[in-house]
Amino acid sequence: MIIREFGVRQGRKALAASLRQGPACLRQLSSLSSETSGTPVAVADPVLQSTLKTSPEAKKTPSLFMQTAKPARKRPVAPDTTKQDWEDAQALRKSMRGVGTTVQPVYSPNDVFRNPPGPKDVTLELLMASQAHMGHHTSVWNPANARYIHGIRQGIHIISLEETAAHLRRAARVVEEVAYRGGLILFVGTRPGQTQIVTQSARLADACHLFTKWTPGTITNSDKILPGLPMKIVDQHDNELEGFDQHLMERRALVPDLVVCLNPLENFVMLHECGLANIPTIGVIDTNTEPTWVTYAIPANDDSLRCLAVIGSVLGRAGEAGNKRRLQDAQKGVVAWETPQAISTWTKIHGKRAEWAARAAREAAEEQAAREAALSGEEPLEKEGEGEVETEGRFRRGQNFRERRPPRASDDS
Amino acid sequence: MVRRPAQRQVRPARIYQTVTTLMDHRVQPRIKVQKPVWYNVVESIPPSEVVTRPLPPQHKTWSPKIRKASRLFQPQQLVFEEDALRKRFFKDHPWELARPRMIIEADGKDAHRCDWSKGLKQPGIPLSGESVVQRQLWRMHNIPGMTQEEAYDLTRKEFYRLRQEEDIERRVAVEEARMVGSYFGQSYLQVGMHLEDLEHERWKKWALSEMTKIRGEQQEAYSGTVDDAVADPQDEDLEQLTETIKEMAA
Repeated sequence: MIIREFGVRQGRKALAASLRQGPACLRQLSSLSSETSGTPVAVADPVLQSTLKTSPEAKKTPSLFMQTAKPARKRPVAPDTTKQDWEDAQALRKSMRGVGTTVQPVYSPNDVFRNPPGPKDVTLELLMASQAHMGHHTSVWNPANARYIHGIRQGIHIISLEETAAHLRRAARVVEEVAYRGGLILFVGTRPGQTQIVTQSARLADACHLFTKWTPGTITNSDKILPGLPMKIVDQHDNELEGFDQHLMERRALVPDLVVCLNPLENFVMLHECGLANIPTIGVIDTNTEPTWVTYAIPANDDSLRCLAVIGSVLGRAGEAGNKRRLQDAQKGVVAWETPQAISTWTKIHGKRAEWAARAAREAAEEQAAREAALSGEEPLEKEGEGEVETEGRFRRGQNFRERRPPRASDDS
Repeated sequence: MVRRPAQRQVRPARIYQTVTTLMDHRVQPRIKVQKPVWYNVVESIPPSEVVTRPLPPQHKTWSPKIRKASRLFQPQQLVFEEDALRKRFFKDHPWELARPRMIIEADGKDAHRCDWSKGLKQPGIPLSGESVVQRQLWRMHNIPGMTQEEAYDLTRKEFYRLRQEEDIERRVAVEEARMVGSYFGQSYLQVGMHLEDLEHERWKKWALSEMTKIRGEQQEAYSGTVDDAVADPQDEDLEQLTETIKEMAA
């Protein structure tokens, strides 16, 4: 076996030593590199050499002649050099830090996804850099939006960024408060390129998202379209609860408590349904969009993905803050929401049914015992420790329950 | 795509009032109803005013002679002092418009970091006609006694110097690259000459086919031998050309 000197001390090997190399191998190579430099040397099998060299306490008879001898290990176990490697790597990086050009921080479209801004980070400069002020050509405007327009420049309407900032902050407060009260929020963005924005906002706010076409009738015809979708019941600490399977099979489907729409022009049907079902909506209103379609309008550019990413992350962060505050208050015992009527009614009925069933079973058991006693001629014994019977589906008092949809696999991405 | 005409809606803005009415006037008053989750939220954070048209931001002064208020509530054109300077600069330097401009902003605070007293090159902003305009404006406002013309002349000369430096840099870079073995494609002139050559070849083929056609027509017209010299008295060069072409093709 020919071993060539291949720079074990420097280079990448120093930073991430291979685990395949045994300690004997390394010792062999290090001794070689100190003696010769770069010339190929023919050496015998290092494993055999090492067993001959470094194990004086080994068996005297060669293992070749012993039938019970264990075969020599092909891959010797290496010591864990992770800590040393890491420290070496850090030292190398520190020494190389000053070398090379200084790259100025430049804009990257991923910045808004890596570090989503919150309601406190909303500034006029941020909105302008995100092209939120650019409306459509003056000929396609909706005059109802005149109050949001700052002026005309190069043939297009310029949206007033003060209005945008004020409306965005108001919408963020609404999202935060609805999340604090345990409401179900839905983020909708159906144009190409809005998928990542909508899913990120939903992930931050622990909300639902939609990036494909809205099925008409999802709210007004929910009994036909929505049944069969997974649901779960959680308590005030967002822990899933058992024992509600029967209810989840029978109940009506959920509708959102707040809908945030990034492109209202294409989702008129959804917004109309929300209006019929009395669901508040938040929408990004461009200069050609109808502002009365939504409850809370955010006048901004709906054609710029950068602008929508900023708006989406602000609302997502607001939802995150609301959820955090809700859980913190729940720890202290303060719950700002009530159990929905559907669940409380069902638990009452189910509890009563279970109680009756238990009582019937108890009475049947007593009757049976009395009959047996009468047959055998003994006096019926009194049961000891007869406390409250554990009924199936007896629910803990002082606990709030509400419905949630279970997390999907895509949520982890 | 046929867009649905924008129909004004009233329901979204009035969900709070609707739900209040529904809860207050129940068919079965004894049965308890729950307030929706958003009810208190919308109560404390009411939606903003819509559809009304307040006076828009004023960017111009109205002439005192105008008595009718027909356009009073329409958005106005945004006009800046720099517009006139930009018009002048790009009229004098039309090829500056051909230079590509990078208009993406990182955080929108480039203007805060600019100090136009220092020079035309500012951090984060590429050199262009816009830098000239801003520097000229600074000169007009901050140097007493400076006229627009004077400021323009001083600033544009600084600009020419910087553009010249850029050109020199580019030329030197090309030389350095050639020195270490890189090669470049054809220059604009070479591309133009190549296109001209192609056009010339195309014309030659056309000329040949036209000549054949004319000769054929003449042969049909005259029954006897055709005197080529009589038919095309002035195209002797062209005949030579045809011969050479035929020889070359063979």
